[in-house]
Amino acid sequence: MNNTIDFKNNDDLAFFGKVNASISHELKNILAIISEAAGLLQDLGQKIELEMLKTCSQDIVEEIQRGFTTIKQMNMFSHSADDPIKKVNLVDVVDLIIALGEFLSFACKVRFDSVPEVAPMVSTCPFRLQNLIYQALVFAFESAGPDGQIRVAIHPQPNGCAHITFSGFGSNNARSFASDKTNKIAASIGVDIREAGDLKSFDLIVPENVEAGREH
Amino acid sequence: MLAKRLALRGIDIDPVFTGEDAIVKAKSQRYDVAILDVKMPGIGGIELERKLKELEPGMKIIFLTGHGSKTDYETGSINAKYYLAKPIQIDELITILQEVTG
Repeated sequence: MNNTIDFKNNDDLAFFGKVNASISHELKNILAIISEAAGLLQDLGQKIELEMLKTCSQDIVEEIQRGFTTIKQMNMFSHSADDPIKKVNLVDVVDLIIALGEFLSFACKVRFDSVPEVAPMVSTCPFRLQNLIYQALVFAFESAGPDGQIRVAIHPQPNGCAHITFSGFGSNNARSFASDKTNKIAASIGVDIREAGDLKSFDLIVPENVEAGREH
Repeated sequence: MLAKRLALRGIDIDPVFTGEDAIVKAKSQRYDVAILDVKMPGIGGIELERKLKELEPGMKIIFLTGHGSKTDYETGSINAKYYLAKPIQIDELITILQEVTG
């Protein structure tokens, strides 16, 4: 019996670890700002002016709120591993992963447009789908560079599946998103990766039902 | 806020909120030290370090980071000589500033 866990080649574990590390990074940033505001109040002591007191307290309130939002996102992400297959709102999933992706130090701007009025519901493995969308975002960040702006859009299809389109890459780094790793994750949940000929955009074609996608 | 805390300790500091603004400032004035976050709006800290060094090769760079990603780790432990993990201690930053400015 082999008791060894291959951490390096465990895509799910690597993804879980990477996202949690970036969340901890974000929480440290939030605490750092609160710490600076408190430190400034301490530095000023009784010499503090009313305006400065208001600014510092407002910053502390805003950062605490940002902390609550981040912890809520962390909680949603953690619970995505609860069920192997579950019906999920695709807009919520993409929204969460964009928020988590933006914590990365090399993240550039993301515009989530073409959000459908009625959000597509898909039956899938939420954790794996999140992993694939996250890999897509990381790929897009790396391709677009720090000044780029990535566009993400969801297009529901009449047959029940939905296309998640990633675009806005620079033309200098034309390379393929489809790799052994991403193809493996996509195949496990019946998702097709369809790339534009010029490699400036690609779609993740998410089936309405994971089993239907696998058969396809 | 960090800028105000440094100013209260007698350090002449020009705070900016983006990498692009830092480059504009560095083109118009000579600075001894830049204190950079790894993650910033627009140009990131690592790219900004390279651009600032082109403008002023002698400029010392101090990185502040939450040390939560591979990129941050590499910046903190390999590339950056001066590196502080958040939340920073102001006295530690002052010590480094004194060290780099001689």
